[in-house]
Amino acid sequence: MSLVGTVYVVDDDGDLGASVARLLRRHGHAAEPFLDPAPLLAIYRDAPADCIVTDVMMGDLDGFGFADRVRAIDPATAIVFMTAWPTTANAVDSIRRYGGLDYLEKPIDEDRLVAAVMEGVAWSRRRRASLARTANLTPREREVFDLLVCGHPNKVIAAELGLSPKTIEDHRAAIMAKTGAAGLAQLIALAE
Amino acid sequence: MTAGAINRVESVDEAVSTSTALAVTARRWAWLPAYALGFYVLHQVAAIWGDSGFYSLWYPAAGLRFAVLWRRGARATGWVVLTELMVQLAAGVVAAAGADWPQQAWSIMRPGVGYGLAIGGVQHLAARAKDARFATPPMPLGLASALAPFAAMLLSLPSVFLRPDFTRVDSPAEIVGSLAAFTVGDLLGVLLIAPPLLWLCDAIERGRRPTLTPPRAGAWIEGGTVLVIAFLLVWTLDGIGLGRPTTPVLLAVAWIGLRFGRAAAWSAILVTALVILPHTAGLATLDATLALHMGLSAVAVVGYLAGSFADADIRARADLARRDRLLFQAERLKTLRAMSVAVIHEISQPLSTLAIEVRHLAEISASPHADAQELHEGAQLIERKTLALATLVRRLRRFGGRAVDDPSPLPVATLLDTVGTLVRLEARAAGVTLTIEPGDLDLVVLAQEIELAQAIVNLVRNAVQATSDRRVAIHAERFSDKVRIRVVNARGAEEAHGAGMGVGLLVARTIVKAHGGHLHRVDQPNAVAQILTLPLAEDLP
Repeated sequence: MSLVGTVYVVDDDGDLGASVARLLRRHGHAAEPFLDPAPLLAIYRDAPADCIVTDVMMGDLDGFGFADRVRAIDPATAIVFMTAWPTTANAVDSIRRYGGLDYLEKPIDEDRLVAAVMEGVAWSRRRRASLARTANLTPREREVFDLLVCGHPNKVIAAELGLSPKTIEDHRAAIMAKTGAAGLAQLIALAE
Repeated sequence: MTAGAINRVESVDEAVSTSTALAVTARRWAWLPAYALGFYVLHQVAAIWGDSGFYSLWYPAAGLRFAVLWRRGARATGWVVLTELMVQLAAGVVAAAGADWPQQAWSIMRPGVGYGLAIGGVQHLAARAKDARFATPPMPLGLASALAPFAAMLLSLPSVFLRPDFTRVDSPAEIVGSLAAFTVGDLLGVLLIAPPLLWLCDAIERGRRPTLTPPRAGAWIEGGTVLVIAFLLVWTLDGIGLGRPTTPVLLAVAWIGLRFGRAAAWSAILVTALVILPHTAGLATLDATLALHMGLSAVAVVGYLAGSFADADIRARADLARRDRLLFQAERLKTLRAMSVAVIHEISQPLSTLAIEVRHLAEISASPHADAQELHEGAQLIERKTLALATLVRRLRRFGGRAVDDPSPLPVATLLDTVGTLVRLEARAAGVTLTIEPGDLDLVVLAQEIELAQAIVNLVRNAVQATSDRRVAIHAERFSDKVRIRVVNARGAEEAHGAGMGVGLLVARTIVKAHGGHLHRVDQPNAVAQILTLPLAEDLP
């Protein structure tokens, strides 16, 4: 069963952008092409996407700069890069530094693109759900949460934050209640 | 194959290799008997210019010795010296018996040792010299030819002063005269005989191809005239009783050497020697002969060194030119690389669209409910993309044809379009926006497109590195009968430097110069412009 969502396609070659958007629409996504990242950024807050497919080499703002700006607005959208000038450095950067899900070379492998977008939509959905579950944590609980998911025991967290182990116990219970996690493993899954 | 057969084959191989080794050994040592014979003959010839206090004022055997040592290297000194000793023993010049035998043997071996030391020293220094002027061939050969006789003379100093009885001279004046005569004789021998022998060896080694280009007709006329005038001058001075100074000839030969190189210098030296040597053969008065031979050896040394210097200079220039060519080649490769990247980009964009659309069309056309409108739109898009690709291929084909090497009329707008294609991606990767204003469409220059595009690409590349506001602009405009192409970038508080070696700029300047234009830099308060001025094609003759 395929998962469909909202997808934006950004490429300064209008025909290619439109082609990719049509292709994704045929696979059931609500896909929209954009020639330039700037107008997309302007409307993004009101119309966030599950996945963004973007070219790397573009006019004033390149794909990586655009990815940074989108991430600042929405940390839960999946980003797929495509490029006609693939380099190893860019490929590594696109995944490690810009949180890209895939780095596709042009001419595009259609099946891989479709698979990447589907995976992206699924990832985005999970991420949004996780974010929603941890959204109600207080700042102190968030600190405890961050240390918990690193695998630290209560004693260490207490020493780290200058609190008593008893207080950490309380925070931990509150975190479990708010996120609905059944154990540490589920908690760690939320942080990913 | 059986083991016995293998053994037989191996033994045949061994026999072949043994006979080859013998042949190689024979060839390796064939020069020794040849040298012995040559040395003997030339030594006897030299006696014509001999006298009591010295052996000869012209000693061609020294030339043979020098040539052999130069070819074989200083390591052959032992063999050369031994051969000379054997020859002199066989000729009865020295006797193997008698109390003086070691000293006599040493006096025969001494010159060879001196030559070996001089040649070894010069070759050693030339290999490590920092000053390319003296290390570039044939300069080391010239220096060694002039120095070897002096080295031999210096080696003889101790025994001349300690045991003057061996050289059959006793007064200090005679000793000095004898040393001078020895040096002059050897100098003349080396400088007249060694060069043609070495050239001959080179010619034989490299087959029929001449290694030394003979002087041109103009050189013969000029050199000949200068030499004739010099001889006329000497003859006139001699005629009016002012002696026979060789200075005019010296100057003439130096002139010829500096102008036309070693071959011409040696020819002039040979002519001078042919005039002087018969004249001095068997001359009774030592002082007159010595003076003339000293003059001749000065002519030979100066002429040969001047010629060597000129040849070394030509060679050094050729080396430089070759390095420049390599540098240009490297630059061109860089441009071609940028071009291939740009082409890959330009092709893969429409190709991506085509791939998606064609696959979709194939899918929907197979279904019975195909939407005619959708099919039509898809086909139209494919046609448009195919046309774009065809245009791209046509543009690329221009680079592959004859147009690459022949200057042809080229619209500046097309040129800047090519430049844009080449560097836009690179600029984009550096986060720099490139704006191009091609100006009037009727601006046409006569150019080699790929070269000129490369020149501008280099300027743009520098500008992309130096710009402080992430913008580079190129614009072209008419300027009377020329076109000015400006590459402008903003300059920040501090000048960006050290990014490259300036090779790009150097190459650009050379290319623009070859197109009859020039390149200059204009510094404005907050911007830098490289301005490339080219003649317009309509105004070219």
